[in-house]
Amino acid sequence: MEESAYFDKYSPIDNVWDEMYGTDANVREHYRKVIDYISKESADDLNKKEELAKRLFMSQGITFTVYNSGEGIEKIFPFDIIPRIITASEWAFVERGIKQRLTALNLFLKDIYHNQFIVKDGIVPIDIIYSCPHFLREMYQLQVPYDIYVHISGIDLIRDHDGTFYVLEDNLRTPSGVSYMLENREITKRLFPDLLPQCSVRSVTEYPSILYKNLLALSPRQIQNPTIVLLTPGIYNSAYFEHTTLARLMGVELVEGRDLVVNNHKVYMKTTTGLQQVDVIYRRVDDEFLDPLVFNPESMLGVAGLMGAYRKGNVAIVNATGTGVADDKAVYAYVPDMIRYYLNEEPVLKNVPTHQLGNPDERAYVFENLNKMVVKKTNGSGGYGMLMGHAASEQEIEDYKKEILKDPRNFIAQPTINLSAAPCYMQGSLKPRRVDLRPYALYGPDGIEIVPGGLTRVALKEGSLVVNSSQGGGSKDTWVLT
Amino acid sequence: MLSRVAASFYWLSRYIERSDGLLRMLKINYASSQDTVQEFTWEPVMRIFAGLDADEAEALENDSRAVLKYMVTGKNNSNSILNIITLARENARGVQEHITKDLWQCLNEYYHTVKDPRLDRALQREDPISVLDVLIKQVMLYYGTVEITMERGEGRAFMNIGKYLERAIQSVDILDTKFSSISENPDLLTDTTYWKHLLLSLGGYELYLKTYREGFESENVLEQVVLNVDFPRSVIYSVNNIQRYFDRLKNESNVDDYREMSFQIGRLQSRIKYSSVKSIKAEGLHLFLTQIRSELYSIGNSLNQHYFANS
Repeated sequence: MEESAYFDKYSPIDNVWDEMYGTDANVREHYRKVIDYISKESADDLNKKEELAKRLFMSQGITFTVYNSGEGIEKIFPFDIIPRIITASEWAFVERGIKQRLTALNLFLKDIYHNQFIVKDGIVPIDIIYSCPHFLREMYQLQVPYDIYVHISGIDLIRDHDGTFYVLEDNLRTPSGVSYMLENREITKRLFPDLLPQCSVRSVTEYPSILYKNLLALSPRQIQNPTIVLLTPGIYNSAYFEHTTLARLMGVELVEGRDLVVNNHKVYMKTTTGLQQVDVIYRRVDDEFLDPLVFNPESMLGVAGLMGAYRKGNVAIVNATGTGVADDKAVYAYVPDMIRYYLNEEPVLKNVPTHQLGNPDERAYVFENLNKMVVKKTNGSGGYGMLMGHAASEQEIEDYKKEILKDPRNFIAQPTINLSAAPCYMQGSLKPRRVDLRPYALYGPDGIEIVPGGLTRVALKEGSLVVNSSQGGGSKDTWVLT
Repeated sequence: MLSRVAASFYWLSRYIERSDGLLRMLKINYASSQDTVQEFTWEPVMRIFAGLDADEAEALENDSRAVLKYMVTGKNNSNSILNIITLARENARGVQEHITKDLWQCLNEYYHTVKDPRLDRALQREDPISVLDVLIKQVMLYYGTVEITMERGEGRAFMNIGKYLERAIQSVDILDTKFSSISENPDLLTDTTYWKHLLLSLGGYELYLKTYREGFESENVLEQVVLNVDFPRSVIYSVNNIQRYFDRLKNESNVDDYREMSFQIGRLQSRIKYSSVKSIKAEGLHLFLTQIRSELYSIGNSLNQHYFANS
């Protein structure tokens, strides 16, 4: 058969779920059309496509800048041209699971910042909450519009060797990457003409309009044209491209902290005609930097007095501040219990088994088995400060143990999960590489909506299990089939 | 419109205009350096565009390749094309959702062209005019893209105000430098190639030939560069356009701010409009140009105060 050129040489990794190959080494049905299409292309053509993708990213400025010795170097987020495909039934399951989980997490936030029933009923220990740096006293007893705290979430999913979906982490603060979901699709349209309609891939273009509709609904003033802004840390932020893309796609003003000013508990932006009141802020600035009067006083990125205006109800902030207490990695372990407690349902999506190192028994067990574990900081992100037990040297393990003992509450351990693999195009042949999946869920007054798609991050290094872009990860277009 | 966005439009446009003026100046000066018997000096160009003092300029002034490197890809020169374009692009990045995708891509390409190590190499080893032409084309592409794709709104008004303000300042600076060289070296007054190069670097050579039949006279050059309303790089043309685009802001402005600045611009416009070569010479060209320059600067300051919230 034609396809032999690329696919005979493709060897799935042992004991790893392969998104393309089934157990009997046959191509899964939903990958068939893509494989037929690619098989008709020569390696030269595919190299050209890869080149074209790079050029499109570069010329459209879809880059992030790494500052090195005073000089900015433009980099593109590596992109693999072979799409990752999800079937309709897999998607239905994921969608159901995320809706359930997000509903429970949102109820948890409301509860934690009001009556704390879940603590009083002994489901979640109070010290885990109060020791979390993202728990904000400023949010206590604050009524947020429609009781929604997490308007935008990017819950990370992975698949174990049997294909079961697990939640790796809940990103409930300011999850990023959605512009790559949108741009990757635009690029794929250019790379593989006609292939998307042939495969009946569901569209992701609705995302900005759903988000805009939700933001509009949050305006505290009942007026015709509320002012909605997207607050960015500025052009030096690595996600700046995403901020401009979203602002443009929604037609809202992109502002920096210095464009805003608070007067009499109302937020205004400085315009050429004077001050204009702001109603809704979709902020991409972390809680800590949002208001120098309340949080980090050194922050130049925020707006003095913003929290005061927020507490008065004169402005809506998206996501609400203080949502970090629900995506803390120590709180993560209790999410299945939350789902049972608030919804009286069994969790659809599984948690990865998690050991709290603050607990002496669990810590002892983890120390015994460190070579089979992944240890993470509870408030870390971006793949920094992790220990991958199976790949670490003895010295690294010993050093890390010392680090843990300084503040055990700040660490959790999970057994190493064999992330599923998907084919990637690497210099003329296809190679399996590990992937995860981040669908973006939007929670508005009408309920939770999830655009069919998401960001598939891929560990481009051979054998690597870390998909973060800061650690040599890339991304793929993600197709959900009808 | 956000004040920061307005300021970014204005500065984006000033930087691009500056790069255009500088590139044309470099091209003509390089060509003329290949065409002179005596030692060619880059000193005036360095003074106008790099703000170097006499000593600093002296170290470089006779080495064309070194000057080109310093002015085009020099990292330590805050007014090199490389640094100007980096700043222009950062301003554009800050207003990315207000400019068209075409314009953003065009600026990006300009930036990557200047950053390309091959450009630096070609500038040192190959024909510099071809290299400068590539860059001049990028600017023309930029102006074409603005013309075709940008909406005719407030943003474009601020862009045009920036562009013409920069252009007026450049023309004033160039005249001031070139004419003050004459007082040091009166022979230049009758040097045809001196005036020809001045006009070429402003793109006004052909117009001059059509307007004046009697050869190169410093007074005619002065008239064209200050007072000719149809010469796109003349001071009066630039100021007329500042006035024209400022007028477009009328409905988008606070009444008091608008009135104050409108007065300021109108006064400058009249000052130039009702001058003649004769009156300028009577009061002293250098004094006249110094006054015009300071008025142009104060228009920039007023914009800062009234429109960009940077008082």
